[in-house]
Amino acid sequence: MNDLQPSASALDLDACAAEPIRIPGAIQPHGGLLVVDPRTLERLHASANLAEVAGIDLAPGASLCDIAEASLLVAELRRWNTASEPTFLRALPVGRGPMQVQGHLTSQGLILEFEAPPRSEGETLDGLYPRLRSFLDAIGAAADVPAIGRAAVREMRALTGFNRILLYQFDQAGDGVVIAEDGDGVLPSYLGLRFPASDIPAQARELYRLNRIRLIVSADYRPCPVEPAVSPIDGRPLDLSLAALRSVSPVHLEYMRNMGTGSSMSVSIMVEGRLWGLISGHSREPKHVNAQVRTACDVLGQVASLQIEAREQSERTTERFALKQVETELLARLVVAPNFQRGLVDNGLTWTALARASGAAVHTADGVLMFGLTPPKEAIAELAHRLGGEELAVIESLAQDWPEAEAFAESASGALAISISRLHPDYIFWFRPEVVRTVDWGGEPAKAVDSRADRLHPRKSFESWNEQVRLCSLPWRPAEIDAARSFRNAIQDIVLRRAEERAELTSQLQASNRELESFSYSISHDLRAPFRHIVGYAELLSERATELDKTSRHYLQSIADAAKSAGTLVDDLLNFSQLGRASLTFGKVDLNKLVAEVRRTIEPDLAGRRITWKIGPLPQAWGDSAMLRQVIQNLLDNAVKYTGPREEAVIEVSGEDLGTHVRCVVRDNGVGFDMTYVGKLFGVFQRLHRTEEFEGTGIGLALVKRIIDRHGGSIDAQGAVGQGACLAFTLPKINPGRRPDGRSKET
Amino acid sequence: MADLRPILLVEDNPRDLELTLAALAKCQLANDIVVARDGAEALDFLYLRGDYADRPPGDPAVVLLDLKLPKIDGLEVLEQVKNDPHQRQIPVVMLTSSREERDLVRSYELGVNAFVVKPVDFNAFFEAIQDLGMFWAILNEPPPGGRNGHG
Repeated sequence: MNDLQPSASALDLDACAAEPIRIPGAIQPHGGLLVVDPRTLERLHASANLAEVAGIDLAPGASLCDIAEASLLVAELRRWNTASEPTFLRALPVGRGPMQVQGHLTSQGLILEFEAPPRSEGETLDGLYPRLRSFLDAIGAAADVPAIGRAAVREMRALTGFNRILLYQFDQAGDGVVIAEDGDGVLPSYLGLRFPASDIPAQARELYRLNRIRLIVSADYRPCPVEPAVSPIDGRPLDLSLAALRSVSPVHLEYMRNMGTGSSMSVSIMVEGRLWGLISGHSREPKHVNAQVRTACDVLGQVASLQIEAREQSERTTERFALKQVETELLARLVVAPNFQRGLVDNGLTWTALARASGAAVHTADGVLMFGLTPPKEAIAELAHRLGGEELAVIESLAQDWPEAEAFAESASGALAISISRLHPDYIFWFRPEVVRTVDWGGEPAKAVDSRADRLHPRKSFESWNEQVRLCSLPWRPAEIDAARSFRNAIQDIVLRRAEERAELTSQLQASNRELESFSYSISHDLRAPFRHIVGYAELLSERATELDKTSRHYLQSIADAAKSAGTLVDDLLNFSQLGRASLTFGKVDLNKLVAEVRRTIEPDLAGRRITWKIGPLPQAWGDSAMLRQVIQNLLDNAVKYTGPREEAVIEVSGEDLGTHVRCVVRDNGVGFDMTYVGKLFGVFQRLHRTEEFEGTGIGLALVKRIIDRHGGSIDAQGAVGQGACLAFTLPKINPGRRPDGRSKET
Repeated sequence: MADLRPILLVEDNPRDLELTLAALAKCQLANDIVVARDGAEALDFLYLRGDYADRPPGDPAVVLLDLKLPKIDGLEVLEQVKNDPHQRQIPVVMLTSSREERDLVRSYELGVNAFVVKPVDFNAFFEAIQDLGMFWAILNEPPPGGRNGHG
């Protein structure tokens, strides 16, 4: 049952190669063929039956001009303007009586074909015109393509008198489905049946495209040879592709006999340059259709082609327009969505409607989002990878190449996929469930070709044969595929624009960061300088002006002090701002050592103070030792400063290992602070004491907090007015490789 | 003791210039002090070009170089001096207002001999200049085979 179609296999191609259908070297015997030099009208080739059929006997090398029986023909040929009339078609007396003469120019000479003339006036083109006229009226009123087809087959049967006329439409796989039929009951009805692509080999299809009409008068004819077989002009076999009398493949004649038909004619339906279908007439008995009627049938076929083309285009345009509206609506919603994936799922009904699917999914690096009936998430991800970057994939049966897909065939057998990234397997999918269909074949397609010994034989049975098609969805229509393709372009714009917006934002942030940096850089250079100058000049002046009175000296000292503290403020601020940017170098830090070093630096300033240091054993910490040194420095400076009023200061530094963290506590018996304001303690420029009580810029603890924050730790303070203060910080114990602030070392 | 080669002071800010000269004067160094007001002038002195084409030849004992300078800035002057095999041995001390880490790092990358952030406190500045003057102008011997023109 899985063996759906014996598609164009190697067998068919072999069959094509084995059958030289363009150069058969023979014609059907109901007419005669003569090939002459277009200028001299000298004979190049002739069919063996030429004299018998046309009544003219032309020796090799002799010219038509030399025989009296052909004088009218010669005159007509001289008047024939090949530019305005590619095919020569005349009914005129040649040899024994009136003949239908058809001519066309090839590189191998002028090919003339002689056939019996129409039996009655009604079969001339003039007589056929009223019939064509009524066909044009009928076809104009036809509602759809099958109705056009019904009008065409009815008209063609009336024109030709075949027992049965069929209109085949070829699908994408090349199978032909009979969509219209007109018959007199002599031959069986094939309406609705499907004929496998292998019934018409690729080479034959190509000939149908080139030569729109083909007539086989009798399935039992004996081919009449054309001599010589090789063209004296180019040394190649004579090409009869466009000849009406061309002898056909014996395999095809066998096919006809197996089908129970004695004669056949087909007219190609070309739509948008491809072979859309065939109008095919059959009779049980041999049947000749004269050239005038054939021309009328050709006109009929071309009118039908144009009508079908127009109808299909307008149907597709209508469909496309409807889907375009869906697309526009969906895009409008996507543009305002936080991201397009979310936007698709939030507008799932519109999303699925775009391709008339029952489920949809989007696969990106962010994962898979789904809506409606879909395969499971993992299968969608696998499908995205299986597609391997294909821009557009149209799949009617996932299980055909991917047996595991049978597991979810009921929810998704067909898939339409569009790629939305050039770099990654990012796809948007639409899914359709399995639809079990019954296909009526004209004969069992698996037996379409029967190979015995070294010859190919067409199948013998055309009994209607039912097949259940499983694991397939309804086919994706061209308009739906177009809609998906168009949506792909639109969404790529959205995806790309998002990426560009992000890039723009990033570059704006970077620019703004650079500005801030250069701002702080120029502050560090330019703001410090004036303070330094004031201090310098004040010092120089005080050294020179030795005679100044006490008040003047005080003023001068105040100028210097004020400038100095302003300069210190700038330094502290810069220090603080640099801290945000400077990189941290992590390593083991011995807090005991840090405390000892800091104590040494402040000891010289402690003359006249009585301080009792209680330094407990401190745990080892992880961090940037220079920065942690700054922390210890600031905390000890504070403890010393705020214990100033105490006769005996007690400063206690203790620590403990908390497993994941280490904790360090600095406690003093100084003036303390009001817990009401504890929240302000760590803010920049926040001071809890008046300047004349305690010096300072109000940045020290803010700096401490910033350093601890960047280490991923925390700091808190306890205190009471007059009761001393206790500042405690904790630092995480981390692996050397990990950066707690998430920054790389280069930042 | 080496012959008393001049000290080249490169400083664009007139106040910094005055204060630095005052500090150097306090050190009571016997060396001449040549002042250049921008990087281009400093290079002219070092390479005996322009206004200095006719100066007595010889390298300065030390270059005290401000970082931010008009025309050619201090880092560029430093780079040229330290990339020139004939100038490389001249001691260069960067004097700067900046506490910027990147300036410091860049200066050391370029081969600066010392880097001094001008302190706000004048006394500290004075001490720093004095130390520098003593070390580079008096104690520091030029490397053997170095250019010392006066010879």
